[in-house]
Amino acid sequence: MNVWLRRYAALVRSAWLVDLQYRAAIAIWMLWNVTEPAIALGIWWSIASQGAVQGFGRDDFARYFFGVALVNQLTLAWDAWYIDRWVRDGEMNFRLARPIGPVHEAIADNIAYKARTASVVLVVWMLVALAWPVVRLPFAPGRWALFALAVVLAAAIRFLNGYATGLLAFWTTRATALMELQFGISLFLSGRIAPLALLPPAVASVAGVLWFPYVLSFPVEVLTGGVVTPEQYVRGFLGQVCWLAVWWAAYRVVWRRGIRHYGAVGG
Amino acid sequence: MPAAIVAERLTKTYQVKVRDAGLGGAVRALVRPRYREVRAVEAISFQVERGEIVAFLGPNGAGKTTTLKMLTGLLYPTAGRAHVAGFTPWDGGSAFKRRIALVLGNKQQLLWDLPPEETFQLNQAIYAVPATEFQARRDELVALLDLAEVMDKPVRQLSLGERMKCELAAALLHRPEILFLDEPTLGLDVTAQEAVRGFLCAYRARHGATILLTSHYMADVTALASRVLIINRGRLLYDGALQALVARMAHTKRLELVLGDGVSREQLAAFGEVREFRFPNAVLEVPRDQATAASARLLASVPVVDLSIQDPALEDVIRRAFAEGTEGGA
Repeated sequence: MNVWLRRYAALVRSAWLVDLQYRAAIAIWMLWNVTEPAIALGIWWSIASQGAVQGFGRDDFARYFFGVALVNQLTLAWDAWYIDRWVRDGEMNFRLARPIGPVHEAIADNIAYKARTASVVLVVWMLVALAWPVVRLPFAPGRWALFALAVVLAAAIRFLNGYATGLLAFWTTRATALMELQFGISLFLSGRIAPLALLPPAVASVAGVLWFPYVLSFPVEVLTGGVVTPEQYVRGFLGQVCWLAVWWAAYRVVWRRGIRHYGAVGG
Repeated sequence: MPAAIVAERLTKTYQVKVRDAGLGGAVRALVRPRYREVRAVEAISFQVERGEIVAFLGPNGAGKTTTLKMLTGLLYPTAGRAHVAGFTPWDGGSAFKRRIALVLGNKQQLLWDLPPEETFQLNQAIYAVPATEFQARRDELVALLDLAEVMDKPVRQLSLGERMKCELAAALLHRPEILFLDEPTLGLDVTAQEAVRGFLCAYRARHGATILLTSHYMADVTALASRVLIINRGRLLYDGALQALVARMAHTKRLELVLGDGVSREQLAAFGEVREFRFPNAVLEVPRDQATAASARLLASVPVVDLSIQDPALEDVIRRAFAEGTEGGA
């Protein structure tokens, strides 16, 4: 087996073994991440009781927010908080002394976490779909393949966005505050609280020039049928690729400069 | 054969934000931040030959750990050059990092919630150690460090000494040529300290590894290192043999006495400076070149049951070296 495959297999295995020690904490975290779309669904379900809202009926909202719960689990990135802690308390030091960059450990952690939590969300979705036909999705392997691609790109953008922001801890103690700010903004601009089509036009146009819609709204709409035409697909994937390139470049710049600026505090 | 470690005028300066005390100071720092340049390491040069064990000594904040971090590639120097195992550490990449190990006494790389075996297996993959070699090395380290009993316990349940031994084993599975150890016996009890020292000696004898260590425990220094580097305020004050440092800095000798009946403190004061007097034990300090003569006069003049002539405690010698800023070396 290739050296890098072995490394990733070992890193993912370790991450799973560590996660198993924190089963309750992870279950609570998962529940918290599902709570937000559940609340949003509850609100829109109630609003839509009088009829469709700009073309979105109750069933559309149900499928949309089930999609949000799944995609959010698959793209969630918390690395900024870890990097901030490692830089500030010196835990980054031994990671820098190893022959692989710290980013690989973070990628493996993400794979481990997402594979497990997303599989739980999928199983729950399937169980709910048995009892509640509204959230069933039509059998469409082509669409699912495109959804998988959109999710991988979205997860990569969100990961690099979080990682590059976290690396600002080399200069500032406020890196996590910047991440919190982005998280707050993304509530509206990524489609977490409402489908982007329902946002006021001014807000939607701001969202359109940022990366937020590409990390959540676009993959969700690929899955639930909101993206239909080839132009919509091309625009969506092109946006994802562009933002992936932007955040990858940002990560490279911040990493190269940050590592030169690093003070290696503590032991 | 080239030296294992070469440092040439290695320098590291930091910009440190300065802030006056109180709320006013906090607001001023926010509006108009001020910075001060701190020279953590100032143009230090030294070499460590292959297979040598060298101790890096200095008070807290002297620049030892900063130097170690530059030599392991964690920090970029502000000026100067370094070669470690033939690489420039901060540009050496993974090929360099496979040839060194860094053990930090106050930070651990072991996976806290899992048994040490899991960290060992992770390091096997990270350092790309072939399976057969890994098993042989793992068994050797477990035997040398007496770790068989703890390999299946979660790290969080191990004692500090057991954890440090596991840290060492995890750091050595890839068989590094050069070991950088920052306070490897920090906080350990005497038995665990001795186990770690014994292991390092055995490891070096068996594999010819080069070791550069920092420690505040003089017992580490005397047991392991034949050569010391003394650093204070970022400057290298001394580079040479431990015994030469003692000879240079110890201007006095200690006469440790067990006295016969009736000897008073005042009587002893005629032969040198009385450092301790707890009858029947006493310690006299006399000029180094007069130690023999003073001992002879003492034995002839007062009843003495036992007398031994000792160098001053190493801690005192080192403290004096810091204070006097000794230049050069043996």
